Amino acid sequence: MKELKILYLYPDILDLYGDIGNIKVLKYRLEQRGFKAIIDNYSINDEKPDFKNYDIVFAGGGADNEQKILAEDLIKYKEDIKQAKDAGVFFLLICGAYQLFGKYYKGVEGNIIPGLEVFDYYTEANPSRSNRCIGNIVIEAELNGNKTKVIGFENHGGQTFGIEEPFGKVLFGNGNKFGDTVEGFMQKNVIATYLHGPLLSKNPALADYIIKYCLERRYNEVIELEPLNDELENKCRLQLLQRFLEK
Amino acid sequence: MGFLTILFTKIIIFMLKIAKKNGGNLPGKLAYKMNKNIIKYFKLNCPVIAVVGTNGKTMTNNSVNRILTQSGANVISNLQGNNMETGILSLLIRNSSLTGKIKADYLTLEVDESYLPVVFKDLRLDTLVVLDFFRDQLDRVGEVESLILKINEFLKTYKGNLVLNNDDPNVARLGKANPENENIFYFSVDKYKFASEEMKEAGEGKFCPFCSTKLEYAYYQYAHIGKFKCPKCNFGNNEIYKLIKNVDLENRTFEIDDELFKIQFNSIYSIYNFAAAITATSLYNIKTEDVKQALENFVLNNGRQEKLVIKECETVINLAKNPTGANVSLRLVNEDNDPKDVLFVLNDNVADGKDVSWIYDINFSNLNNVNRIITSGTRAYDMAICVKNSGFPVSQIEAYLDLGEAVKALYSTKCKKYAISNYTAIQDTRQAIKSF
Repeated sequence: MKELKILYLYPDILDLYGDIGNIKVLKYRLEQRGFKAIIDNYSINDEKPDFKNYDIVFAGGGADNEQKILAEDLIKYKEDIKQAKDAGVFFLLICGAYQLFGKYYKGVEGNIIPGLEVFDYYTEANPSRSNRCIGNIVIEAELNGNKTKVIGFENHGGQTFGIEEPFGKVLFGNGNKFGDTVEGFMQKNVIATYLHGPLLSKNPALADYIIKYCLERRYNEVIELEPLNDELENKCRLQLLQRFLEK
Repeated sequence: MGFLTILFTKIIIFMLKIAKKNGGNLPGKLAYKMNKNIIKYFKLNCPVIAVVGTNGKTMTNNSVNRILTQSGANVISNLQGNNMETGILSLLIRNSSLTGKIKADYLTLEVDESYLPVVFKDLRLDTLVVLDFFRDQLDRVGEVESLILKINEFLKTYKGNLVLNNDDPNVARLGKANPENENIFYFSVDKYKFASEEMKEAGEGKFCPFCSTKLEYAYYQYAHIGKFKCPKCNFGNNEIYKLIKNVDLENRTFEIDDELFKIQFNSIYSIYNFAAAITATSLYNIKTEDVKQALENFVLNNGRQEKLVIKECETVINLAKNPTGANVSLRLVNEDNDPKDVLFVLNDNVADGKDVSWIYDINFSNLNNVNRIITSGTRAYDMAICVKNSGFPVSQIEAYLDLGEAVKALYSTKCKKYAISNYTAIQDTRQAIKSF
């Protein structure tokens, strides 16, 4: 039986916005097709994970002050994470995790929280604490040459700069900054984004894009995924795209 | 100016009455517009008891009201849950004379957490009850920590009675806000039958607020509510003023100070609400007999564990506006062994919070004898997808944007029904079920 190994970073801390749903979607879509999903959790005080031994590394968003506690922990593995990324392990990073993998996060008082420096982008807090990018968001991403609308929810004070390879074009909502034209960061084996929702729940094509990439990399062969019954997802997309885009 | 404001808004209330309308917060809104300091104008000669917390305010405030009323007192309360500044102002206007005098033995209020400092800037407060803090409508309210800090700031100069849930670390920490306040009363509930060693549902407060050490739990009752302690600084080890023992949800009884109390509710979170209400009213020398009698007959027919029989099907309707609300509602479902259908109604209006991601914090892994899950509301499909991804068979999930259709589908079979709705959906759900 083919399998994928997923490393879920800090599930007990980066757990604020339902991002665990992404793990549930990946697991569901793998198991429905007869693949095995192995999910390992890592959190503070756990044994050091072997990052490059995984197919997917996932991390979500958390509360601001708890995020600081784990930043100090994660930075110990900076080099291992870079190696895993260079080796092609897929990184799915949401919100706080997206920020954490950049150069730094600059707080309201100008304090710098160093990032993992895996990527060159950086984030600055919006000077007004109460002024955050909050709301439904729709972006258009390109997945294996197919333009795909991705639906989610953004809720971030941080404004992210220095993005040369965005995840998608903003069709509705803010994006990396207030009123931005682009959202997130994307490479062949990386999607870093502000989209909650959870991200994969309403975007099955995106979930399958990640699954396909990881299976093909691991088994070194072309893999065509069997279509699943996505009736609920399709109805949901139809309803929400109409609501958000046809105003 | 205060006189004119009250006169004017009382005329409005009178006119609303003639037009057979309730008007809700309108008089308060108008009064606030006319005079921002209007609260100062009211003269209160009775104790004021206020309840805050993410979940359980309405039930706790209603039971405090019932206990005090049972003792023979004249009590004014915002029983319907109008808990923001304008709602409380409306209540005061309705119950005051033109000179702002309020004649009552007690005023009891549920207050929205974020409005606490505003409401009590100029209004007397004798007893403050803090129930719990859970993640709730993050896009509207923000992170729970900023809310706690706001209340902590308010408490730094507060010297009145403070009734705190010692089983929620984020509530217990408020006992240290003002070291000079000696009137702090912690309540707690002994381990119940379905308590667990692992946290089963999304929770807050994993780290000690004083030394950042990971908190240790002897057990979790639900979410992060349970017996906790900081292994480093001993935070949590408070003297308990009222301890609920021998919780028996099947027979709906519990004990405090060796007295047996009978209630109409069978959920662990209601027990916490009663613990809070009993602790608060115990500060006013209410006879135990009155407390017992008040609670024995106490039900809330407003979508809080509301019980009905529709088309011969036993039906329970419950409000759930955040992950913990939904999880404790599912505990009710799962602690019931009978076969049943569950209806979830999920809206994403402004008052609900527009972000529905939180539904993925609902724990569907312990479903007990659930035949079908039906979803409705503006986010019916989101809810259905969430249930599907939890592993519940997709053939047993039905999604309807139209609530009427959903209710029709719900009663298409004969078995017990549970309806769980979020904030703006609850009244529509009640109506749709009652009129079916």
